[in-house]
Amino acid sequence: MENNLVTTAYIAASALFILSLAGLSQPESAKRGNLLGMVGMAVAFIATAAISQGYPIQLGSIGLGVMVGALAASRVAMTDMPEMVALLNSFVGLAAVLVGFAEYLQPSAALVGADVIIHRVEIFVGVFIGIVTFTGSMVAVAKLRGWVPSRAVLLPARHVITLGMLGAIAVLGAPFLTATGTTPLMALGAMTAIAASFGIVIVLAIGGADMAVVISLLNSYSGLASAAAGFMLNNDLLIITGALVGSSGAILSYIMCKGMNRSFINVVLGGFGETASGAGQAAALEGSATSTTTGEVVDLLANAQSVVIVPGYGMAVAQAQHAVAEITRMLRAQGKQVRFGIHPVAGRMPGHMNVLLAEANVPYDIVLEMDEINDDLAATDVVLVVGANDTVNPSAKNDPTSPIAGMPVMEVWEAGTVVVLKRSLSSGYAGVENPLFFNDNTLMFFGDAKTNVNGILAQLSTAKTTAAAALSAA
Amino acid sequence: MTIAAPQENPVVTPAESASAGVTVGIPKETFAGERRVAATPDTAKKLQKLGFEVLVETQAGVGASFTDSAYEAAGCRIVPDAPSLWHAADVVLKVRSPQHHSHIDRHEVTLLKPSSTLISFIWPAQNPELLAQLAEQGGTVLAMDAVPRISRAQKLDALSSMANIGGYRAVIEAASNFGRCFTGQITAAGKMPPAKVMVIGVGVAGLAAIGAAKSLGAIVKAFDTRLVVKEQVQSLGAEFLELHFEEDGSGEGGYAKVMSPAFIAAEMALFAQQAKDVDIIITTALIPGKPAPLLITQEMVESMKPGSVIVDMAAEQGGNCEVTQPGEVIIHQGVTIIGLTDLPSRMASQASQLYGNNLVHLLSDLGGAENFSIDMADQVIRATTVIHNGQVTWPPPKVEAPAPDPSASSAPPAAEEIPTAKSPLSKILWPLLLGGVVVAIGLWAPASFITHLTVFVLASFLGWKVIWDVSPSLHTPLMSVTNAISGIIIIGGMLQISGDITSPMTILGAIALFLGTVNIAGGFMVSQRMLNMFHK
Repeated sequence: MENNLVTTAYIAASALFILSLAGLSQPESAKRGNLLGMVGMAVAFIATAAISQGYPIQLGSIGLGVMVGALAASRVAMTDMPEMVALLNSFVGLAAVLVGFAEYLQPSAALVGADVIIHRVEIFVGVFIGIVTFTGSMVAVAKLRGWVPSRAVLLPARHVITLGMLGAIAVLGAPFLTATGTTPLMALGAMTAIAASFGIVIVLAIGGADMAVVISLLNSYSGLASAAAGFMLNNDLLIITGALVGSSGAILSYIMCKGMNRSFINVVLGGFGETASGAGQAAALEGSATSTTTGEVVDLLANAQSVVIVPGYGMAVAQAQHAVAEITRMLRAQGKQVRFGIHPVAGRMPGHMNVLLAEANVPYDIVLEMDEINDDLAATDVVLVVGANDTVNPSAKNDPTSPIAGMPVMEVWEAGTVVVLKRSLSSGYAGVENPLFFNDNTLMFFGDAKTNVNGILAQLSTAKTTAAAALSAA
Repeated sequence: MTIAAPQENPVVTPAESASAGVTVGIPKETFAGERRVAATPDTAKKLQKLGFEVLVETQAGVGASFTDSAYEAAGCRIVPDAPSLWHAADVVLKVRSPQHHSHIDRHEVTLLKPSSTLISFIWPAQNPELLAQLAEQGGTVLAMDAVPRISRAQKLDALSSMANIGGYRAVIEAASNFGRCFTGQITAAGKMPPAKVMVIGVGVAGLAAIGAAKSLGAIVKAFDTRLVVKEQVQSLGAEFLELHFEEDGSGEGGYAKVMSPAFIAAEMALFAQQAKDVDIIITTALIPGKPAPLLITQEMVESMKPGSVIVDMAAEQGGNCEVTQPGEVIIHQGVTIIGLTDLPSRMASQASQLYGNNLVHLLSDLGGAENFSIDMADQVIRATTVIHNGQVTWPPPKVEAPAPDPSASSAPPAAEEIPTAKSPLSKILWPLLLGGVVVAIGLWAPASFITHLTVFVLASFLGWKVIWDVSPSLHTPLMSVTNAISGIIIIGGMLQISGDITSPMTILGAIALFLGTVNIAGGFMVSQRMLNMFHK
């Protein structure tokens, strides 16, 4: 009776989680979606609490966890969201490892024959996924924070090493499944250690701009780790939730890969950008870039009717989103059409730019996806490219030999004038030179994005006040 | 075929030796009343930046208010007369097609050197004799009116830049011939009704006219057979007049095509009705290679209010209005009909600047002075070049506008076939493997596992369906929410905790519970924080 009640509670929680994700489909319903998720979690928690024991310990753990989580959630800067997500992924991974070990230490006595083997396979797989998620996410965090170089770090013969690790893990499976005594525990420990280094090596080899894929992928893994825990614990709620999270991460990885026109395998094998630089140099560009000044950009904006802003990771790095948003407000107040065009892989995480712009109070209905705005770019007077490079590279479209050929890009060069805010003419993450910078209708605005955007903002507001003063004088 | 390599095909080589620079010559326009000039001091400077030496005939820019001294200050050399300019220049830039030069009583064509290049408006379709004469001279001729209308060539598109100016000027001409204000006002001295302007044909000129009329304060309506322009019209704040008729007039290269008789009848009825209402009609309707369509009949003109104005921008191609006299401003029963054909020339200074910029872009595409060459492999340059080394190359081989589409859509199937042929094994490998796994599970796995697998597979598919609906702008909140709900793993930790605090299981479970709770609290709270920021 009591068990049935718990089961129905779990069913309710599953339904609430599904509704929660469905709610996220639109900004209008997203908050309700988040709330439904919380309710689902509460239902699951209360039901589980009813059948578990050791409340003082539970309370202690939960109290501590809520404190840490709440503190982190209220403190994290929106530019650091990729790190936050990666860190939370790693926690699920580690929790799955711990649950796996604990489950091994207390196998249910009821299992016999094939069930034992299956159960051990579930533990083995669960711990493997969990630990890879954990160490991989940790490396991702370290890369995003700049603690380790964000470029692809390639070990010599890394494919041999990773294959060797996978082989060793498979070999360790045999004693774990069949042996008795302490041998299986040793095997499980050894496997965990090897899988931990496996996670590190894999993510180290993936470069900075591919982090979006890695984080999505690790998000997916964290779901699979939950699902694996569900298999070992015979718990359908864990399986359903894990499967939902797993497919969510998988879809995001897929979208990111498509945004770069690269296969999933290609990203996961890593090393992109290091090997491509040779080809990039071969296609060296001639021509000169035209640099511009704050005054010129302000003039351009003052005379433009329609402006599209294309932000990239550079905007996040320079923390320029507030100044960009302020310019947007000012131009919109003057009756100009200002919109944002977001490339799917802009930033270090799916939706990264959207969150930054939302933080800066940019209305979401003027923040458009690449496909929504690409056709309008030809009719746009001025495009401001803020800290984006590869996502606005015309050679992806025009040059079949380019390493990024075929990648969908923002066709900013179609617009009347393109102003690129960038530190230098250096090539982007993919190591490909950008012919956009040398176009006749491209003006390069060199320097720190935040300083320059603030400069534009200052001149725009003085222009406005002088105009107002002139008006009132007249 | 660069200037640095005078080989067996040296005709295109404008300079005798590689060391001598390429000289660009700007003659004074000879067409009566033409005030534009092919380079302004500003664009001459840009030409010099490209490495050209720039010669300007004396008084060339005077009609556009550019003095000889302004050109000299920009680093140009002033040449006293046309023959010496044409003789010294390797590339001659003009606005109007070559004319009879009344001053020296020679046709400008005869001034063209065999080794040189002429760039100007030519209108080869309308002027076959001129084309033949130019070809006889043995030089190379690029027609600015033949620049293809593709996005890459927009910066060269002189027709558009001139049409833009023309559209603006058309409104100014209308305003100066119209006895009332464009803008409506209520003053102490009484009410001024706003002028009603109808623009027919919304190309570049039409859009410019709409913009200009709108900013003067008029009520603007516009009509075009191409429904695609509706949005552009509305974006300028004008009303788009629609026929409720299922026919779209979009033709090749952004121009309109000839419409069906039924459509034209409906259209004429609309114009007749509007003519009685509006004060100003500006017509810009052109169909390439055909005389301008007749849209405003004499009857409609007579039905207009006295004092109304019609500007017929198609006057040169015969006019859209029945009573238009090309080149003239006439008054027909109280209605002024402006058939001026030199609208851009009436804004000579601005028009010259834009046209000059178009030419700078073209010369830059031709390689500048250093690598100056006519690259016939380039689609834009191929289409623009009407005579190459004395050979008529007009019309260019037809590159159908929709052609890239069929080729693009036929390419992918071809590409798909290759992998199919290459690896039939890999195609059946995965289904086979998957089938094997399913069979193995079915044979050996216990029932409880199969139940869980069912749940897992169904939930994965459900998740896949649900997540695709998530708006890309919410992908980051999606990740943090999934972070939070994957904290459901606390259930595992909770079930493993027992009262015994020393048991390893309890310790592991407690840590797992802690980590999961961080996720739940952190994930939900940060999602809420983010979602609160999203607003319209």
